[in-house]
Amino acid sequence: MFHEKQILILKSMNNFRDLHWPLAFTWLALAIIGLVAIYSATQGPVSEFLPSYIQNNFLKQLLWVAISIVLVIGVQFTSPRNYMQLSYLFYGMGLILMVLTLFIGTEINGAKSWIRIGPGRIQSSEIMKIATILATANYLTSRRDITAENIRYALIATFMILVPTTLVILQNDFGTAIVFLSLIPVMLFWSGLPYGVSLFIISPAIILYLSVFDWVYGVIASVVLSAVIFIIQKRAWLTVTSLVSGIITVVGVNLALTSILKPHQIARIKAFTNPEFDPTGAGWNVIQAKTAIGSGGLFGKGFLQGTQTQLRFLPEQWTDFVSCVIGEEFGFVGLSVLVFLFLFLFVQLLRMARNHNHPFAQLVTVSVASVLFIHFFINLGSATGILPVIGIPLPFVSYGGSAFLANSLMLAICLNMDFYKRDFSIYR
Amino acid sequence: MKSLNPNRTRTSILALQVIMVGICMVVLGRAFFLQIVEYEIYEELGERNSIRQEYVDAARGLIFDRNGKLIVDNQPIYSITITPSSFQEENIPLLASLLQVSDSLVISRVKEAQKYSWYRTSKLLTDVDFSTFSLIQENIWRLPGVGHQIDSKRNYPLEMKASHILGYLREANERDYRNNDQLRLGDKIGKSGLELIYEDSLRGELGTNYLKVNALGQSLGNFTELREPEAPIQGDNILTTIDADLQLFSEKLMEGKTGAIVAMNPNTGAILALVSSPEYDVSRLAGRIDTKYWQEINSDTTKPLFNRAISSRQPPGSTFKPVMGIAGMHLGIVTPSTEIYNSGQYIRGRAYKDLADPGNYNMESAIAFSSNTYFFSLMDKIAMSGNLNNWSKLVKDFGLGVPNTIDLPSANPGIIPDSSYLDRHFGKRKWGLGDLINLGIGQGIISASPLQVAQMTSSIVNGGYKIEPYLVEAIEEANGRVVLKTPVREKISWVNDTYLETVKRGMRQVVLEGSGRFYANIPDISVAGKTGTAQNPHGYDHGWFTSFAPYENPEIVVTVFLENAGFASISAAPVASLVIEKYIKKEIERNYVYNYVLNFVPREANSDSEINE
Repeated sequence: MFHEKQILILKSMNNFRDLHWPLAFTWLALAIIGLVAIYSATQGPVSEFLPSYIQNNFLKQLLWVAISIVLVIGVQFTSPRNYMQLSYLFYGMGLILMVLTLFIGTEINGAKSWIRIGPGRIQSSEIMKIATILATANYLTSRRDITAENIRYALIATFMILVPTTLVILQNDFGTAIVFLSLIPVMLFWSGLPYGVSLFIISPAIILYLSVFDWVYGVIASVVLSAVIFIIQKRAWLTVTSLVSGIITVVGVNLALTSILKPHQIARIKAFTNPEFDPTGAGWNVIQAKTAIGSGGLFGKGFLQGTQTQLRFLPEQWTDFVSCVIGEEFGFVGLSVLVFLFLFLFVQLLRMARNHNHPFAQLVTVSVASVLFIHFFINLGSATGILPVIGIPLPFVSYGGSAFLANSLMLAICLNMDFYKRDFSIYR
Repeated sequence: MKSLNPNRTRTSILALQVIMVGICMVVLGRAFFLQIVEYEIYEELGERNSIRQEYVDAARGLIFDRNGKLIVDNQPIYSITITPSSFQEENIPLLASLLQVSDSLVISRVKEAQKYSWYRTSKLLTDVDFSTFSLIQENIWRLPGVGHQIDSKRNYPLEMKASHILGYLREANERDYRNNDQLRLGDKIGKSGLELIYEDSLRGELGTNYLKVNALGQSLGNFTELREPEAPIQGDNILTTIDADLQLFSEKLMEGKTGAIVAMNPNTGAILALVSSPEYDVSRLAGRIDTKYWQEINSDTTKPLFNRAISSRQPPGSTFKPVMGIAGMHLGIVTPSTEIYNSGQYIRGRAYKDLADPGNYNMESAIAFSSNTYFFSLMDKIAMSGNLNNWSKLVKDFGLGVPNTIDLPSANPGIIPDSSYLDRHFGKRKWGLGDLINLGIGQGIISASPLQVAQMTSSIVNGGYKIEPYLVEAIEEANGRVVLKTPVREKISWVNDTYLETVKRGMRQVVLEGSGRFYANIPDISVAGKTGTAQNPHGYDHGWFTSFAPYENPEIVVTVFLENAGFASISAAPVASLVIEKYIKKEIERNYVYNYVLNFVPREANSDSEINE
């Protein structure tokens, strides 16, 4: 052990060029963009309408970024094998923390996701994200083979994801729950689930999304998706099941919209498809977010000049709607830089995964890319009105210490596995 | 551990990359759509969000006297405003208790405001005292939709009242603000006097302020980056013809009396002083509606709101005799030297009394000693020669019986009858000579306002020019431009100087030897004038005195009308003479007259003063 550590340290000192610097710098760039946006959203002229604990968010985030930088560097001095070895322990501890949060947690904006540790608060679900990825990846890659026929492993892996998902839902944090759920198809797909079956698993989400607009879109999507599944898989039963489940989804959505859901929930969905329906209530966030981004124009209104931001028209402008601050004050140019930085990050992570020989490293890296991507898509989709408003932070950009730390840690693990990819192979 | 199929890995990575690139492009496309394609929609939405348009009241124009003395200006007051859309009705009791008014008052004001506009800001209560204003300010966070502003009310720095000249302001009614987008509920507009006639000039134009507001509706000050505020245009200043000192003095003289004084420059028609008594206190109507006072002056039997100087209709009595003489001379019925014998009465169908000493009277002495016989006979001859309508026309050239253009509301044209008027009044051909003879001494179906009597007198003394009375000399616009009034001055074509000189001599004799000699004859000032009585079946007669001075080159005409004052020579004449003395000498030397007028008690003439009016 001692010997190995010395080797590790020596290696990190000498071969620092092997680190994936472009990715590291992208991460830093996003963090800086985030700090700029949080500064504007909390320290700008708007600060006079904000309580001091929110004004402090900028400095807190600065501290978290500093801590994260140390941590990311620190992670580079560990061996990737540790993640495999410690993954179950980590997972178990994470679950305990989640359950504890349910009882002694602090509620913020309706979600009971925070637990007080020392001077700060930790969002346990963010930590759980890493633990779930590592543990599930470890479980799946340590099995011989999983296919659609060998469904047992797949079910256990799904269960490993569903447990924290349930806990997150109990914490009343649906945004994060969706992130966890999105891990299921990624994990299963990556560990050998046939393409057609994978598509079958994610098809309800697509049909659901379209059905909210009009049941006709839902039906069309069901038919098209079933046809694609048939073309890929050429299995009659799967195709029929797909079609039936698709139709059930469409009917379910319509029933939910007409009779099952409570009026305020229906209002929220209606606010997405037609924000003008209730502009000061459920539609407020959507309208104000779109107005912020739209009024930014090509170059934006300038740093600290956004009227929507500085006059407090945006809700949660330092977290869930931070992209509106960027869109308003830096315009289309600013948003494009943001999107391309993320795109670069995702593509580089996927390339990293492709270059791994070790399935664990591959699966973890792909999962991290997918989790970050889901965050990115839901956050920007909510802000731009592509998706209903689902409160979820933008990785590395939104204010939130636990989230920043957890996301950075995930990235650090990917960097670390990439750094040691020659040593961390199936042949050792 | 299983090893993954490298082909499947590559394909999967590619699939994921395609999905991610695709969705990133969707997001970017969406951003492009919002920020570039629909930019204008959202830009406007954003602007509308953060900018609130607010009206800024223009300062109402000031009113000055002829010497540049400030008569009316504005004084800041505190007002409480309400925007019904944000107001919560459960706050009414709280609001009422803070304002120290009844709930029902607040409820009715809120209802009015709602009726006016749900979204525009109305004034809930104006002229609240500072402590109430501060109390509201402190509690404003508990009262959404309630605001406060500094407003202004009319202020009258001088001691004089001039209520019938200036007029009062009251809250615009529904019709007012529906017809004028510059008005909002709670705004005050001129409802009488100069304030009404010059409302459009005085009001100015509303300015607009663009306020930055946040999502909570809190105002963050002016928003000058995007929209320049439009400054209100101050109302025009009004330079009146009023002599504030003379006005105040005249008001003093009229205290406790009922009637009117009109002092006028006979050469232009410029009004120097105009008093209608009793007055009301315009300053008590300036701020918050003083309901009690308003009801009081409305129900007062002496009608303080009634402008006797321009609206009352009274027979001019003997003050009419000079014009009567001029008309008679022009119609060729008499000449200045024509003499008519007064036996004590004029008999024509019945006896018409004449209190003047028996004897022969020519035009001059008939005016000087007010012989009725002379004018009964004159009117008789005018009527009998078929000249009634000609006479009516001639008299109207002196401003009687026709509307004048004074810049005050509700001036009364009075009556100078002609045959068609009499037909209308009595029925066709149901009138006769008996209804006409009295017209010769200004009694019967004939009436004029004090203003008209002054106008008539002016035309006699200014060399036969028709003038129109006016109160505003110039309007000074906010940009400094001054619009001057051009007084009307038209020669009455048929009047010649012989007529005028004859009657003027008679009027001078009134003061020197006739009924005016007791109180109207001022040492060093050559005053001329004519008394008159308007018969009053309900009590003492109403007294007239119309006068001018100096006789040689008249600068001022003063007409005084006193209700229920008895003989004019001892009631109206001293008042008029004091006004003249004040105007010409600037101070009063005849203190005994001044004290007499201030302590005047109506009474009949002394038995030894043989007065015929």
